[in-house]
Amino acid sequence: MKRVSIGRVAINIGILILAFFILGPIVWLAVHAFASDWKYPNLYPSGISFHWWSKVFLDSALATAIRNSLIISPIVVVISMIICLPAAYAAGRLNYPGRKTFMVGIFSANSFPKIGLFAAIATLYYALNLMGTFLGVVIVQLLGTIIYMTWIPAAAFAAVPRNLEEAARDAGASKFRVFRTITLRLAMPGILVAIVMSFLASFDEAQGSYLVGAPSIYTMPTEMYSLVQNYPIQVAAVFSILLAIPSVLLLSLARKHIMGGQLAEGFQLK
Amino acid sequence: MKKESDEMGLELRGLKKILGGRVIIDDLDLRVEQGEMISLLGPSGCGKTTTLRMIAGFLTADAGQIMLAGKDVTQLGPDKRPSAMVFQNYALWPHMSAAKNVAYPLKIKGLSKVEINEKVEAALELVKLLHHKDSRPGQISGGEQQRVALARALVQEPDVLLLDEPLSNLDAKLREKVREDIRELQRRLGITTVIVTHDQEEALSISDRVAVMNSGRIEQFSSPQDLYRHPATEYVATFIGSLNRFEGELVDGQIRSGEGIVGIRPEDLVIAQNYIEGSHQGTVELVIPRGHFYEIVVRRHDGLFRAFMNENVPALGESVHVGIKKSLRYHNGKLVA
Amino acid sequence: MRSRKSTSTKRGFLVRKDEGPSLLGLAFSIPPLLLVLIFVGLPILIGLTFSLGFTSGPNRVVSLIGQQIHKKNHWWGTFAAYSDVIHDSRFLGDLGLTLFVTILSTILVILLSLSIALYQRLIGGKKSSLLVTLSIIPLFVPVVISAWAIHTFYGGDGFMRSFFSQFGINFPTLTSTPSAIVIGTVWTSLPFAILMISSGLQGIPDALIESAKDCGASPIRVITNILIPLAKTPIIIATSFTAIGILGSFTIPLFLGPNQPTMLGVEISNFFGSYNRPQQSLVMAFMVFMIASGIAIAYVWSNVKSARESGRI
Repeated sequence: MKRVSIGRVAINIGILILAFFILGPIVWLAVHAFASDWKYPNLYPSGISFHWWSKVFLDSALATAIRNSLIISPIVVVISMIICLPAAYAAGRLNYPGRKTFMVGIFSANSFPKIGLFAAIATLYYALNLMGTFLGVVIVQLLGTIIYMTWIPAAAFAAVPRNLEEAARDAGASKFRVFRTITLRLAMPGILVAIVMSFLASFDEAQGSYLVGAPSIYTMPTEMYSLVQNYPIQVAAVFSILLAIPSVLLLSLARKHIMGGQLAEGFQLK
Repeated sequence: MKKESDEMGLELRGLKKILGGRVIIDDLDLRVEQGEMISLLGPSGCGKTTTLRMIAGFLTADAGQIMLAGKDVTQLGPDKRPSAMVFQNYALWPHMSAAKNVAYPLKIKGLSKVEINEKVEAALELVKLLHHKDSRPGQISGGEQQRVALARALVQEPDVLLLDEPLSNLDAKLREKVREDIRELQRRLGITTVIVTHDQEEALSISDRVAVMNSGRIEQFSSPQDLYRHPATEYVATFIGSLNRFEGELVDGQIRSGEGIVGIRPEDLVIAQNYIEGSHQGTVELVIPRGHFYEIVVRRHDGLFRAFMNENVPALGESVHVGIKKSLRYHNGKLVA
Repeated sequence: MRSRKSTSTKRGFLVRKDEGPSLLGLAFSIPPLLLVLIFVGLPILIGLTFSLGFTSGPNRVVSLIGQQIHKKNHWWGTFAAYSDVIHDSRFLGDLGLTLFVTILSTILVILLSLSIALYQRLIGGKKSSLLVTLSIIPLFVPVVISAWAIHTFYGGDGFMRSFFSQFGINFPTLTSTPSAIVIGTVWTSLPFAILMISSGLQGIPDALIESAKDCGASPIRVITNILIPLAKTPIIIATSFTAIGILGSFTIPLFLGPNQPTMLGVEISNFFGSYNRPQQSLVMAFMVFMIASGIAIAYVWSNVKSARESGRI
């Protein structure tokens, strides 16, 4: 019985250390958003204040960045869905030459170091006049979503049991109706996870958007780069909280499916 | 591996298990002779699998004692018990070949490579699968997988062999053959064996004795013939085989209203064209061909009677006489002598 | 009701036997393929020619702007830019740091994920769910924020130093050291690895563990002989994704690492932007890509192998 209690103490210590490691930095930063002033080495601020929040909202550059992010990311996700979901369905369900090569190709495109790609992409962007344009930023962010929008839904489509579709066909449903009411519905958790991951990939993308968009178009993450150098820490903290809101909302929405294995399933080559 | 005959192969004393606040097994006793093959038979949820898992050590008993070949193993984990189990889905490790699967328990025991090789080959030979020794579980059929699982259990030379629904995943044709194979092997090795099954035909045909279980208790533990001919409780009578069941009493070859239950096996009915002693008239309502025999249903004024016939099968609507050769009487669920 | 004769085909309703390979599938896969070819494949190809000294055509503008540009002196180009980079002590330092951080962080991430996932699989309960949930939280946080949060936590006037100074202990400033990069990469890489490995281990049926116990296996043996081999593919996927991600990381080393040496992700950006040496910057990118490809090949190979073993191919 003594062994058991030692194990229990060990696991409790493990939980505490992990909680401290993971939560410590976020909490420490978040608290700064409400601190009027904070002097080292105090463990608490000199006072509580909301005036950093108004500072962020009243700063036109920061407000523009917020607006840009909120416009660009949904557009990126929708375009990504239009381009990738049919391909994901094909990869998961249809039999065509080069199916595996396609999946592996998408994957290897993703393993080229992003920053190197963005450096290389500049040449093409100059040639196509995309540098510093809205479309240029959209395309750069789109690239990061492709792997999520193809691999995860492909696995979800592949996992839909065929006999459920056949039962619906047998009951008299047309092919399209079966696709809409059975196949799509059953693959929905996977697609949802793909949408969430794509949105975050786009919303959080900083390196490429900075290289391609600056100085004419700033999004929230690219604004963070200059923010941390030019503003007090409290402003960065407020901005961080704002930047984290969509992630937290979306991920808690899809949490069940992500933890349920949709994300993990998505990256196993079938 | 014969043991002295005075000790039991397996003994459960006052076994109890509570899961999720529900009593699954209540005060269960069972004594299995050395070298005997028994079945735990019952519908799903009767506690038979729970009992087996307690014998194997995957569940700990909340009360009671488990003795394997005379040793008290109640406090031991599954890795320390002299029992070996064949799982329902065989539970072969997909990343190991058949031979590796069988060799695994020997490797844990720390046997030498030569010894392991010898024993693995012998075990695979025993189940006639030597030619598949390098195949992975995914490459062989369900029946072959089961034989690998059996070899993996036998190679441990366990005191008690446990089989969890061993035939449920095989198709009907194969089932009969595997059943005979298992039985033959068990006789030859003289190994105490417990089978869990929900299939009465399987239990009756393979076991020396059958324990019929119902909501965590053993209703009756006896030989297959005894179970069928002398079911100790109404539950066993209806669960094993078919039974014409009536509420009331049997007087002058007729069912009269009264206390208790009358049970009549179909083969204990006599169907005749003319009156025989103690018979009463009825009309044939159903004739169902069942292959080598017919099942017929006759309506008499006191109820519906179901009987089996081979020859002189009456036509639908025909008037026949139904006589009762033998009946069982139950009061409060118990057999009345 | 009219019952049709068995309609069950093993494949989907769109793939009937008489249809054979589907052209529709090919058509569907063209849009993303084109996107990747134009905006990933083409730039990489152009970049490759540029790194080899092809300075005309699409590379004309960048060659005019950039400094220390090498022009090709053979029909196939020149390795001069590669030679520049390989002989640059700065690059060698960066490479060393990059490999060090990648290897150390990957090992830490996988060990941590594996122990949490094994604990969850074998013991389970509320505490294991708590551990998993905690490890997933970084997935909710954009990497720019994570990097900045870790910076303020371990920095000169951060929490760690503030806390320890209450007891008169001078806790080291971790920011601008490799330790901070390792902390940051472990922090951000943990969720994906945990999700992969825990889902792999959860997928192993109880019976396979119980049968091993029944054979007399100790918990250690169950882990090393059964659980880890059976979850091999997800573990390898987690390892390769983690390693590739860390190898090309930019924001974390930018915010948390030292100026010199720094990780190659940051150096590629520096060479491209601040130092205006685009050719050398691309050479570094290709070197990182080569390392990443090695890891990616291991991943694909493991995937294909496991698919073949389970009879899916």
